[in-house]
This record gives sequence, C-alpha cells and structure tokens, in this order.
Amino acid sequence: MLFYPDQRHMLELTTIRRERLLPEEAVGGVEVSEGALVNLRDVVASGTIPSRYVIVEAAEFFNLKQPSDLDELLQVEVGSAVDRGSPLAIRRNKRLLSPVSGVVAYIGDGRIIVQEAPQEIPLEAGLEGQVVSLVQDRGVVIETSGALLQGVWGNNRRTIGVLRLEPEAGLETIEGDQLNVEYRGAIVVTRRPLRETGLLVMEDQGFTGIIAPSMDASLIARALEASGAVMLTEGFGDIRMSNAILNMLNSFAGRQATLDAFLPNRWEARRPEVIINAPRGSARPVRPNPDLTLQVGTQVRLTRPPNAGQVGKVIHLPKTPYLLDNGLRARCAQVELVTGERVMVPLVNLEVFGR
Amino acid sequence: MAEQRSGSILAVDFGNVNTRAVLLDLVEGVYRLIARAETRTTVDFPAGDVRVGLRRAAERLTDVTGRRLLNPDGSIITPERPDRSGVDVFVATTSTGRPLRTAVVGLVPDVSIASSLRAAAGTYVQIVETVSLADQRTEEEQLNALLASRPDLIFIAGGTEDGAREPVLRLARLACLAVTLVQRGHKPSVLYAGNSALIPRIQQMFKGLTTVFTAPNVRPSLDDEELEGAQLKLALAFDERQSQRGSGFDVLGTMTSIGVLPTAQSYTLIVDYLGKALGGNVLAVDVGSAVSTLSASVAGQVTTAIRTDIGLGHSAATLLELVGEKAIQQWLPFVPAPGQIQHYALNKTLRPATIPETLPGLYLEHALLRAGIRALLEAARPTWLGDKTGLLPVFDRIIGAGSGLTRTGHPGFNALLLLDALQPTGMAVLQADPHGLIAALGALAPINAEAVVQVLDGLSLERLGVCVSVSGQPAAGRTALKIRITTEGGEVVRHEVAGGHLWVYPLETGRTVRVDVSAGRGLTIGGRTRLRFAADGGSAGLIFDARGRPLPLADTPAGRAAQMPLWISEVTGDPARPLEAPGQSDELAPAARSEPRRDRVFPAKSAARTVSPRGRFGRRTAPPPEPEAGDEPEDDTLSELNQLRG
Repeated sequence: MLFYPDQRHMLELTTIRRERLLPEEAVGGVEVSEGALVNLRDVVASGTIPSRYVIVEAAEFFNLKQPSDLDELLQVEVGSAVDRGSPLAIRRNKRLLSPVSGVVAYIGDGRIIVQEAPQEIPLEAGLEGQVVSLVQDRGVVIETSGALLQGVWGNNRRTIGVLRLEPEAGLETIEGDQLNVEYRGAIVVTRRPLRETGLLVMEDQGFTGIIAPSMDASLIARALEASGAVMLTEGFGDIRMSNAILNMLNSFAGRQATLDAFLPNRWEARRPEVIINAPRGSARPVRPNPDLTLQVGTQVRLTRPPNAGQVGKVIHLPKTPYLLDNGLRARCAQVELVTGERVMVPLVNLEVFGR
Repeated sequence: MAEQRSGSILAVDFGNVNTRAVLLDLVEGVYRLIARAETRTTVDFPAGDVRVGLRRAAERLTDVTGRRLLNPDGSIITPERPDRSGVDVFVATTSTGRPLRTAVVGLVPDVSIASSLRAAAGTYVQIVETVSLADQRTEEEQLNALLASRPDLIFIAGGTEDGAREPVLRLARLACLAVTLVQRGHKPSVLYAGNSALIPRIQQMFKGLTTVFTAPNVRPSLDDEELEGAQLKLALAFDERQSQRGSGFDVLGTMTSIGVLPTAQSYTLIVDYLGKALGGNVLAVDVGSAVSTLSASVAGQVTTAIRTDIGLGHSAATLLELVGEKAIQQWLPFVPAPGQIQHYALNKTLRPATIPETLPGLYLEHALLRAGIRALLEAARPTWLGDKTGLLPVFDRIIGAGSGLTRTGHPGFNALLLLDALQPTGMAVLQADPHGLIAALGALAPINAEAVVQVLDGLSLERLGVCVSVSGQPAAGRTALKIRITTEGGEVVRHEVAGGHLWVYPLETGRTVRVDVSAGRGLTIGGRTRLRFAADGGSAGLIFDARGRPLPLADTPAGRAAQMPLWISEVTGDPARPLEAPGQSDELAPAARSEPRRDRVFPAKSAARTVSPRGRFGRRTAPPPEPEAGDEPEDDTLSELNQLRG
C-alpha cells in the first residue's frame, strides 16, 4: 500500500518553478513576456491597492432636475486623473471641484465618484530565472535551477544576500561596535535557537536575513517587525538545527542566495525557502517529483518529539498499526537514525526531502 | 438488451488534511458502502491540485474493488460502463480553501440581518461587513466599508413578502455601486433572498455586472424564517468561488453532478434526517484540521455551528488564541513549561497532519481537542431550541468525526474523548465517522435521498456503543451506578460503579443485552433515577460513566494526573500510563540530541481501584471492516505488534 509522505525540500540541485503573484486585493498587470530572463530585482508585475472612494453629489450641487443633465457639464470621464481642486464639472460660473487627488472611478445617477490615488505595488521576480508562463493580471511563473531548502516559518520578508554561517561562539557574539564587514548584507545561518539578541544583532550589523532552527513564540511579533528576513527550519520552541540542514547550508556558504521567508497561511500552497541559484546556462536538472512514496531505504526527517529534526532511513514498513508508548495506535515506519538507533515513527510524522 | 445501471456512486470529501472517498452501490436492491479509501489532500505543496489526491484515492478503490474509475486524463468515468468501470454519480464536498468572504446587507439587524447570519452559519462563510438601515455611517462610509472588506459575495436580504420595497432597493443600489466600482475579475457575486417581489428588479440592477443568485425570502414574515433555499445558494456561491481559485477545483466541479459542496452543509442535512428518523435529539461534531462543525437536532430543529478558527491542525494556533491557555491547562495532568502550550499549537499549525508521539504531547493534543469542542458547544447552544444553560440536554445519538476524535486507534478512547468534551447526560448511542461518510452522504442527498437513507440505516457509521452517564456529583468511592445486565443467553451480570469511575461492559456489535441501571442517592441518569432498556453492542462496548456531570475534573495538575490516565485505562482496558512526573514533559526536548529519549511506559499500578474491563472480559472484537484502502491500518494483530516492539 502506497503512502505519500509530506515533502519539505532539501535538494542540492533541482529545477524550481515558483509563482510570483500580486496580492489578491491588488489590481494590476504583468510587465514581462513569456520566455523573458529575469533577475532577482526585476519587476515582473505591478499593481495598485484600491484606496478610498469619495462620492461627489454633482446633480445636487448644480440643482439638476435630471441626473442625466450632468453629462453635458462634465469636465472629466471615467478614468481621468484629477488633482484636488481641479474641476469635475462646470455650469456657467459654477465649478464643481474634486475634493481629492485621484482617478474618476464612476459617473452615474448624478454622482461622480473619485478614487483617491491608490498605492502602487511593484512585484519583483525574487528569483533569477526564466518566465515560463503568465498569470493574467496577477503575475508570472518563473523557472530556475539551483539548491533549495524549505523551512517551516518565515516573517514574510524576502531578501537576497551571501550565505554566511554564524561564528563558532554564536550569532550574539557579533558585537555591535566591531566592524564585521563579512556579515553586512549577508544571510546568516545559526544552528542555535534564535533569541531576541539575535534579532538585535541583525539590525545592528545590517544582516539581510537569518536562518535559524527555532525561536520562542514570544518573539513572533518582534520577528514580524524586523527589517530583515527570518526563516525557521524546525519550528517553535528550543530546537537545534538538524545536522543535515546545517551541513547543506554550510556547503553553500559564501554563495548568493534568495531567502523567501514566506509567512505560511492555510490558503496558499507555499513554503518559506532559500534558493541558491546554479550558474546560468548549466544543464537543467529534473523537477522534484510530487508523487514520491515512502519506501524502504527512503531518507526521512522526523518531525515530532522525541526525535524532531533527526534524519534517518526507513528500514521497515509494517502493514499493521503500531502501539505507541503514549497509547495511540498508528501506522508507523521503522527508521534507523544516523546515530544507529532504530525507532518506530508514525508515517504522518515523516517528511521526505524531495527528489 | 439495454444495460442495467447499478446506480453506483462515488463520493469524495476533500478535507484540509485528508481526502476520503467512498464507493456506494446497490447490493440486492439496497445501497451499501462497498469500499472506501483515504489519502492526503493535495491542495497544498508540492502538488497544489486536489485532483492528485482524487486520483490516488480512486486508484486505491480500484486496487480494492478491481473496478476502474479513472479516465486516462484523470477524470472520473461517468456513467458506469457495461464492464463495471466508472460510476453513475460522482459527488464531492470540501472544507478546504478560504471561507466565502461575505458582506451582509439587510434592513433590520434583528430580523433580516439575523436570519441572513443564521443562513450563513450553515456553510464556510466569513462575515466581513454588515450594512443595515440601522447603520449610522454615511453612504460614502458604507460604500468604502463594503469595498474595503473585499467580499466574495454580497448577501442582500430584507422586506417580508408583501412588505418593504424601497428601503431594500436603496440598499441594493449601494451594493450595486460597490460591485460596479470593483475591477473586473474581482467583482463579488450577489445573493438576493429578500422580498421576492423585487427579484426581477434586482436581477435587472446587476445584469451584466456579476453573477446573481436568488433564493426564497429568508424572512417571509416576521414570525417565519426560511433558510434552506439561501443555504443551498450559498453553497453554490462557495462552489463558484472555489472553482475560480484554481487548485484543481475548477475542473473537479465540472466532473461532479452538482458542483463541489461545502462539507458542513452535509452535517446539517444528515443530522436533520437522523433527528426526524429517530424522533430524538442528535448531535454530530467534526473537529477537522482547519474547520470544526457542530450540528445538533434539538426538539426537531437543526442548527449548525461552523468555526474556521477551531481545528487541531491548521487552526490549532487560532484555537488556542480563542480559548486561552487556561482552558487547555484545565485538561492537562501536568504543569506545562512556559510557552509549551503555545509552541505545541504553533508547531501543529506548521505541520497539521502530524500526531503526538509522547505522552505529554498526547495530553496537549487532546486538551486542544476537548477545549475546542467546549468552545464549539458554547457557540452552538444559544441557538438550540429550549436549551437552558447548564448540563447538556439528553442526546439520543452522538456522532464524532475528524481524525482527532476517531483515530486514537481504540474505540474506547474515541468514546472517552466525546464523553469528556461533550459531557452528555442520560443514555446516548455513540457513533464515529472515521471515513467521512456523513460528508459524502450530504452531497448525495439532493440527488439520491434513497441511497442516503439506506446507507445510514445500513450501519455504515462505526457504532462505538451505548453510554449511560450519571448527572450530579457522585462521592468518590461510593456507588454511583448499580447495573444489572441480562445477556441473550439469560446470564446475569451485576456490577456497581463507584463515583469518579467509568466501567465498560464489552458488548460486541451485533449482540444485544437487557440493561437495568439505577443511579445512587442524589444522582440521576438524564433526570431519571432508573433506566431499563435493551442495548445493542458496539466497538467500544457498553459504557457506564459514573464520573458525574458536570465532569468533576480536579483543579490541580496532580489531581488530574490521578484521574486522567485512570479514565483512559478504564475505557481502553490498557494499563494506565502515568506521566514520569507531573510538571515535566519532553514534548519540547531539543531535536538534535545524540541519544533521543523515548517515553517510558509504566504498568498499571496494582493498587488502583479501577476494574480493567479488557482484562476481565478479554479482548474486544471490532465489527468486520469494509474493504478499505488508504493510509490507515489494514490489519490488527497482537503478534505483529509485539514483533515490531521487540
């Protein structure tokens, strides 16, 4: 019987396809064409967030008998940009002025509705790659190749920087008064749980991002306000980074990376992740297989205590449920950890790294 | 010769974590559950398309039944072909996706607005704005509020039949202006369920602007309320919006007979049916990952409460926010470390399908579950007919659904969770719906009501058993229930249950006994002191709950540490599993230890006064399962378990 485990990608070279979309409430359009090569900071779409509407009772202002009489007095049409104080309609010496700067959104029933100047939203590519398809009025799908590591939580910031490992003594030892040029503008990886001082050091030293295994829930608000991107690889609490993740990030130290610290929400099929682009022009590797099944020999990550964060290999997949020590009975896999210990783990508590 | 249709039905429910499929067909002229399958829902990363999960579930059904269900393009074969491939009817329900953002526009808050909100309560709706004649805001402010709320749907109601017209039209014009100002591609749909005389004018007003649904007036008169029509149209609006969101729902909707309906609506339909068929009170509670539903038929009237902020996975963090840490601690037999509850809930939200492996984790998980159901009850009870505050009214049938309530691996444990969270009174039949049958049947009801009735009558839900609960506060150690059970063979079993305990008589499904039970002094069984009845068996057996109502949970963690493991042991027959030391937990232990700890299991203390029903009456046997394919266990043998443990 097949079991399709959760996938949380940790791949050293793969093809990555990502949608880049304007926020749902934005109205806009795509600014690149299919097939275009884009860099990280290129704007691929732009839009506006609708702003306040102001109703101007024009027929009432001119004492018109019929709302339709307004038509011949109009100085603007739907879509016209207007400044505050510019005339919307004129009748002899009587001028109806726009109360705000914006765009005329509606004319009808003797009314003119002006929408205040909306907020502009430029959408950056966030990836170095090729636009493989367009999403009408919303954004693009970009394909690239490189290394991919997905986390579990992010503070909704996106950044680009050189990947650096924290000093041996920890992130907090990067003192505010000493010049650490090496870390300025970098995405710093810490193997220890992130503390408040870590966030302060990020601000002081000008890191653009931090990749940490975990942090206390009390820091969420602080992290969401931070100017840099923060991604957690394990979860909340006091959890250290698994060696597998640390080793992978270590192997890419010094390389430029894109950290998309997406804040997970239940409505979007996205995860926070870090991408290290492969050089352009190199052969395109295969895309991850979404249909991976759990097999004997599959490398897995354990996601729940007492073994959360550990990596191992499936050595047995019994067909019958297993009675856990806590009294629950669930279908499990027997996993050999890197330490050599063998443990029974519920199938739903296993993640695969993708392929 | 013309081919005879079998009337085969495939019903699939797409939950936030699991996709459950059931295959129904005629067996000797009666609809029966033929097979079921379950797989992970694939709306999330990496597939991002529900049809992947549908394909996997359908393939599993094919493995079990030998019946091909899929076309090469991944669509479901309909109608059924002469070679028995495909099905005649394919229906689908879902609780995934964002709720329908709905702005309600009506005349009077206590009349049309109130009825609209009650209609909306039956489906996945998030009320984002309300505008009425009582609104003190200017028209411009109302317009901006409507637009800023970014509704998917504007629900307009107001005016009784032959009642107000102009005020309704005035509000409709405001809604129309809002729809006009929204850019193409983002325009909300409109549902009108007000004075029916205005339907043509409403349709004309919105013509060419957006989709308009019309339904019978939700308030035909001040004394009458008619919600069914509006609820059905809300379901269609939900389906329309889901299909626009992609994730495969657009194509899925075209494969089904009536679109993809909201799962919650199924609960309303089925609980209504059961309430009428049984002539008593019925309650169904489904705690999902992101959404929870409680539907109750009380005195013949059905009400459904849906909460998108209560769930054990995606909504675990919002559930904690809603109920607060105290409500969780109340169910913990240990002192949680600072931040432990919050970390647990947040990590569950990040990995919603996972289950606890440690004992503290299990208590945290079930504390969230129990507190979530209590919060659902609190939200639902004010709408129950004639319900007074205090103890739960007597429910003849109680159904639990959702993985948290049905997948402990032991029917007795499943039953205990229902008893703890709902605290039923009197006598109730407990059932479980581990395979999402209610969701499936609800979608089927508008197409083939006969099939729904036959499947429900055909024992397709898991019958946990009958529970008799004592109301009042029984004294510890003193007899709270005196029981006399007469078996079919005439054997008489007498038992006394002391206050603060549960006792299970292992009565298998298919067996019946006569029960004569009386409550101790000062106690009642649903308001009566003695009950005599014939009881059918179930997978958990006959449960006698002498703990009292309201449930006398100890005030201290140490007190609960004495109660909770014991209660679990009493209903499961497994040895009690006390925590190593109340106040300590390894649920948040560091991950990258070189030598991971395992929970230690202690044998039940011999000094415990509790009777171990499993030990006394031997191992209970569950009813033979229907053929099943899925991520769930296939078999259940002790030897295999022991082998694995060894």
